[in-house]
Amino acid sequence: MRAVKILERVLITIPIMFGVAVVVFFFMRLTPGDPVDIMMGQAGAVSTGEIEQLRREFDLDKPLYMQLWLFLTKAVQGDLGYSYTQKRPVNELIFDRLPATIELAGGALFFSLVIAIPIGIISAVRQKSLVDQFSMAGAFLGTSMPSFWLGIILILLFAVRLGWLPVQGRITYGINLEYVTGFYVLDSLLGRNWPALVSSVKHLVLPSVSLGASVAAIVARVLRSSMVEILRQDYVTLARAKGNREFLVVMKHALRNALIPTVTVVGLQVGSLLGGNMIVESVFSWPGLGRLVVKAIFERDFPLVQGAVMIYAFTFVIANLIVDVLYTYLNPKITL
Amino acid sequence: MQGIVSGDNRFSRLVYVWRVRWKVRARNLAEFWRDLRGRPLALLGGVVVVLYILGAISAPYISPHSPTQGNLRYRLRPPAWQEGAEPGYYLGTDDQGRDLLTRIIFGARVSLLVGLLSVGISVAIGTALGALAGYYRGWLDQLLSRFADLLLAFPFLIFAIGMMTFLGPGFTNLIVALTFKGWVEFFRLVRGEMLAEKTKEYVEAAKVVGQRDWAIIASEVLPNIIQSVFVLGTLRMGFMIIMEASLSFLGLGIQPPTPAWGSMVSVGRDYMLTAWWVSTLPGIAILIMVLAINLFGEGLRDILDPRLRVE
Amino acid sequence: MAVKNRMLLVLMSLVLMAAPLASCGTPTPEVVERQVVVTQIVQETVIVEGTPVMVEVTKVVEVEKQVVVTPTSLPARDVIIVGLSAAPVTLDPADHRTRNSETVIRNMFDGLVTRDQVSGVHLELAESLEWLDEQTLEVKLRQGVLFHDGVAMTADDVVFTFERIINENMIEYPEVHSSPRKGLIAPLESIDKIDDYTVKMNFSAPWPPAIQMLVHQQIVPKHYLEEVGTKGFIEHPIGTGPFKFLSATGLEQIVLERFDDYWGGAPDLEPVGPPCVRQVVFRVIPEASTRVAALLAGEVDIIQALPAELADTLAKTPGVQVGTAAGTQPKWMEMNVNQPPFDDVRVRQAMNYAVDKDLIVEAIYGGRAAALAGPLSPYNNYINTSLVPYPYDTEKALALLAEAGWIDTNSDGILDKDGISLAFTMDTLEEFRSLAEAVANQLRALGVDVGVRFWEYSVVKPMLDANERMAYLDDWGDSAFDPVGHFEAKWHGRVTGQTYGRGNFSGYNNARVNELTKLGEITPDPVVRQLIYDEAQQIVYDEAPAIFLIIPDETEAARADIVNWGPAADSRINLHDVCVAAQ
Repeated sequence: MRAVKILERVLITIPIMFGVAVVVFFFMRLTPGDPVDIMMGQAGAVSTGEIEQLRREFDLDKPLYMQLWLFLTKAVQGDLGYSYTQKRPVNELIFDRLPATIELAGGALFFSLVIAIPIGIISAVRQKSLVDQFSMAGAFLGTSMPSFWLGIILILLFAVRLGWLPVQGRITYGINLEYVTGFYVLDSLLGRNWPALVSSVKHLVLPSVSLGASVAAIVARVLRSSMVEILRQDYVTLARAKGNREFLVVMKHALRNALIPTVTVVGLQVGSLLGGNMIVESVFSWPGLGRLVVKAIFERDFPLVQGAVMIYAFTFVIANLIVDVLYTYLNPKITL
Repeated sequence: MQGIVSGDNRFSRLVYVWRVRWKVRARNLAEFWRDLRGRPLALLGGVVVVLYILGAISAPYISPHSPTQGNLRYRLRPPAWQEGAEPGYYLGTDDQGRDLLTRIIFGARVSLLVGLLSVGISVAIGTALGALAGYYRGWLDQLLSRFADLLLAFPFLIFAIGMMTFLGPGFTNLIVALTFKGWVEFFRLVRGEMLAEKTKEYVEAAKVVGQRDWAIIASEVLPNIIQSVFVLGTLRMGFMIIMEASLSFLGLGIQPPTPAWGSMVSVGRDYMLTAWWVSTLPGIAILIMVLAINLFGEGLRDILDPRLRVE
Repeated sequence: MAVKNRMLLVLMSLVLMAAPLASCGTPTPEVVERQVVVTQIVQETVIVEGTPVMVEVTKVVEVEKQVVVTPTSLPARDVIIVGLSAAPVTLDPADHRTRNSETVIRNMFDGLVTRDQVSGVHLELAESLEWLDEQTLEVKLRQGVLFHDGVAMTADDVVFTFERIINENMIEYPEVHSSPRKGLIAPLESIDKIDDYTVKMNFSAPWPPAIQMLVHQQIVPKHYLEEVGTKGFIEHPIGTGPFKFLSATGLEQIVLERFDDYWGGAPDLEPVGPPCVRQVVFRVIPEASTRVAALLAGEVDIIQALPAELADTLAKTPGVQVGTAAGTQPKWMEMNVNQPPFDDVRVRQAMNYAVDKDLIVEAIYGGRAAALAGPLSPYNNYINTSLVPYPYDTEKALALLAEAGWIDTNSDGILDKDGISLAFTMDTLEEFRSLAEAVANQLRALGVDVGVRFWEYSVVKPMLDANERMAYLDDWGDSAFDPVGHFEAKWHGRVTGQTYGRGNFSGYNNARVNELTKLGEITPDPVVRQLIYDEAQQIVYDEAPAIFLIIPDETEAARADIVNWGPAADSRINLHDVCVAAQ
C-alpha cells in the first residue's frame, strides 16, 4: 500500500517538472535581448550570413512552439544545448560545477544539523535556562542575517584578521588530490589523503557556516518547540515513571517524534540552501553552479540559465519528494 | 440548528452573531495589549520597527547630509570613534564620500517599502484567490492550486533572480518579482482556512439567511482568518527584506544612486580590507530591522495565532 | 524492532558524518612515493651570427627517477599562482577578444613578435622581418622551435594560423564562425609560404602599426588542430610557448607546466631559456577584495587589477610588493551625439568642463592615473602634445549649458529647457562603478539628473551598436600605442559590416575625422602621420563626443619573494621569467 502511495507521489512530480521546464523556457525566450546579438558581443563586425547560420544552429529561426518542442525533446534526452558565452554544452558546464555545489550544500546541511540538533534538544530539556535563552537568541539572529553579509563578516574575521581559514577556493593549490567523485572531502577520504582532507574541510568551513546559519537557526527552533510539546505528553511522563533514565527518555521517546516536523522543515530549507548558494558562492569565489548561473544571468546566456534553473528546481522537487517519503517511514500513521 | 432555520429568528440570530463577534474582538484587543506588555522582546521589536518607520518617513529632515551627493575629498572616512574621522560624518563615508549614516537612514525607506508593498500585495492577491479557491473549489481551485504547486517548485531566490533578469532592475520590477511568488504562501494559508471555516455553523447560517457568496466571504469568513494572515504577513516581511537585499547585493535590485542596503554591502566588499564600515554597517542595519520584525512577528503569532508554527 | 533498527541506522550515519571532523584535528602528513620524469638540461647554447642564423638546439636528457613527495610540502615553491580578475573565454588564440584570455594564452603560445613590459616590440618566433615593399612583409622564422608535442614549428603552421584568422568561418566549434581577432589584423589580405621557414604577408594597403599588431596573434600547430579539431584543441591546447597545458577546471583554474624543450624566448629579452618555475596556476578570483585577501594570506603569488585604493596600503605591507606600469586603457563617457541633449556640442563640452578629473585621479586612484587630453592616451606614440585636459570649470560649464538653453527655471536644482529636465542614464560595467558614480555625482552637482545602470558588456553592446543608449562609460585598450586602434574603432563613423566604428558608441561621425583616420592607417612616414593625427585629435577634442576622463596605471601586486616580475602596460602577465627567490 505504501509503495503505491509513494509511486503516486513520484508521478505527481512529473507534470510539475514539465511545468517547470515550460515556465523556464518562456521566461528565457521573452527576456529582452536578441541571443544572437549577445553571442556576437565579442566578435565585432560579422556578416549577415553568419548571423543566419547562428540562428539555425540555435534553432532561433523556428517558431516559438517549435523551439519549445525541440527544447523539451532534447531536454528529456539530457541535451540542454550550448552555452552562448562559454561555447560548451550546458550539460558539461553544469556537471563540472555540480559536485562543488553539492559539497557546499552538504557542508552547510551538515553544519546546521550538527549545531541545531544538540541545541534544539538541550534548549527543550533545559527550558528557560541560560543555555536556552542564548541559543534561541542566536537562532533569532541566524534567521535575520543576510547570508552574504555573514559571509563577508566571517572572511573579515577568520580569514583576514585571524588568518585561521582560507579566503576562497576549495583546496590549497599544490596538494595532490586524485579527483574521483569531484567531492574533495570524499575524494581525500577515499585516497586517505589527510592533508587534502584538512585543506578541503578548512576551505569548506566558512562558506558552509554562511550558508547553513539560517537553516541551523530554523531547525533548532522547530526541534525545540516540538520537543517541548512532546516532553509534556503522557507517554513521556509514563516512560519517566517507569524509571527510565532521563537521557534515554529524551533520546528515545521524545527525539524520534520531534524529528518528524524537523525533517519537513529541513526539506523546505533545501530551497534556501540552493538559492543561498548563488550568493555564498559569489562571496567565497566557490567554483560551483551558483556562481556560474549568476554570471550567466548577467550575460544573458539563456541556455545555461535555463539548464541550471531547471536543475535547481528539479533538485528542490526531488528533495521534497524524499522528505515526503521519509515522512511516511518516520511516522507510519501519515499517508501521503 | 432548528432556531436558525425558523423564519422569525433569522434577523435576531444574525444580530446576535455579529454582537458576539465584536465583543470577542474588543476583548481580544485589550488582551492583546496585555499580552504584548508581557513579552518584552516582542514589544522591543515593535518599538524598533516603529523607530525605523519614523526614521524612514522623516529621512530628509533628520539626515545630516545628502544620500546621493558625496564629496570625493572625504572618501572612505572611518566612523566618528575611529582615528581619521571627518567631523559630522558619524558613521563614516563610502567610496563616493557620501555620509553612511544618511544612506543607511534613506536605505530604510527602500527596505521598508519593499517589505510592506511586496507583502501587502502578496496578501491581497493570495487572500483573494485563496478565498475564492477555498470557497468555490472546482476548476478554479484546481487551476490555482496547480499553479501554486508549480511556483513552489522553484526556490524563492532563484525564481526572483530569474524574474529580475526578465524584467530588468528597478523598484517596481522588484516588487513584481517578489510578489509573483510571494502570494502563494497566503493563497495556501487562506485556502486551507477557508476549507475549514466553510463547514462551520456560521457560514451555513449566513447562507441560510440568503447572504450572497461574496458577502459571506468578505464579512463572515475573512474576519475570522485575517489574524492568521496578519501574523504570516509580519513573519514574511523580514524574509522579503532579506530577499530584496540579496537581489540588490547581486546588482539586480535597486540601481544607484538610490541607497539600498543590499547594494551598499555589495559595494563595500571592494573596500573590505581598508574600510570595514562600508559594508558592515548597512549589514547591521538589515540585521536589526529584520530581527525586530521577526521578534514582533513571533510575539504576534504567540498572542494571536498560536497554531501557526515556524515556517 | 523496526524502530530500533532505524534508530541505529540514524546514529550510525551520524557517527560516520562526524568521522571526518574528528580526524581533521590530527593531520598526519603521509609520505607518498611517486614515479616521475625528471628533465635535466645538459646544454643550452644559442649562437646568433648575422644572417643566416645558426641555432644549436637545446639538448635534453630524460631520467626516470623515484622521488619522495610529501603532499604537504612541495619542493619549496616552484609553483606560481596567479589570481585573475576574470576567466579567459577560451584557450584558442584565434577565438577571443579579451585581455585575460591573452594573458593565459601568451604563456602557452608565442607570436611572431612579442612586446616587453612597456611598448618595445621584439622578435619572437620571427627571426627577421623585412618589408619587401610598403604592403609586403617577409617573415623569416626561427628554426628548431618545438610545439609542446615535440613537432617542429614551420611556415605551414604560421600560414595556417593567419588563414584561420583572416578567412571567414574557419572556426568550427561550437558553431561555425569567423575569428573575432580578424579586426586586429584587418589589412592582411593573404599569407604565402615561401619555404619551410619563410612566409610572405600581403597587406591591402600600407599599414604602419603592422608590427605592433602582430604581437596579438599567436601561432598554433597546424598538424594538431587538423587532427583534433577546435574542440580537441581548446580542451588540450598545444603551442610553442614556455608553458604547456596541464589541466583546467572549467576556465576557473588553469594549470600550466614548464615546457622543458622551450626554445628560449625572445633573445632581446633576458633571461633566455626554459621558464624558472615548474608550474603556474591561473585562478579566477573576480572580487578584488577577495583577490587581495588571498594574496595577503599567501594563497596566491601574483594578483591582477589591484584596486588603486589598496595599492598604498599593500605597498607598506611586509611580504607583499606592488608594481605599476603606465596603463593602456583610457576611459571616457561617450555621449549619444544623435539625440538631445547631446546633439548640441555645447552640452557635450559643458559635460567635459563639469568633471573634476584631478580630484578623481587623486581620490579614487590615489594618484595612480592621469587625466586624458582628448581621445588618445598620453602614452600613445602619436599624442597631440598641444592639447591639455578640459579644465574643471563649473561656471564655464553652466554658461555653455545656458547658451544651449539649459537653465534651472523652476529652482528644483535640475537644469531644464522647454519644461524638460536635463536627465540621462549612464550605462556602464560593474568594474567601472566607482568612476561612473563619481562622474555622475559631479554632473548631478552641476544640475544634471544622472542615473547609473550597470550591465554585462555582451548585453549592453547590441543596444550601443544600435545607438539606442544616451551615455556609456567604458574603456578601450590601445596596447599597440598606435592611434590606429582607437581612431578606427571609436572615433571613425560606424560602417556596417566593417571594423570601422565598431566601438563607436556615441554615434559620432565626422567626415574629416573619418578621412584622417583612413589616411593615418596607410601613411608610413611618422612625421606626416603625426600631423594627420594631431588634426584628428584636435577635432575630436573640440567636438567632444565623449567626456575624456582618465587613464589608470596598471597596478598589480605579488608576494615579496617573487622576482623578475612587474606589470606590463598591456596588462598581460608573462610568467616566462618570473622566479621565486630562494629563502
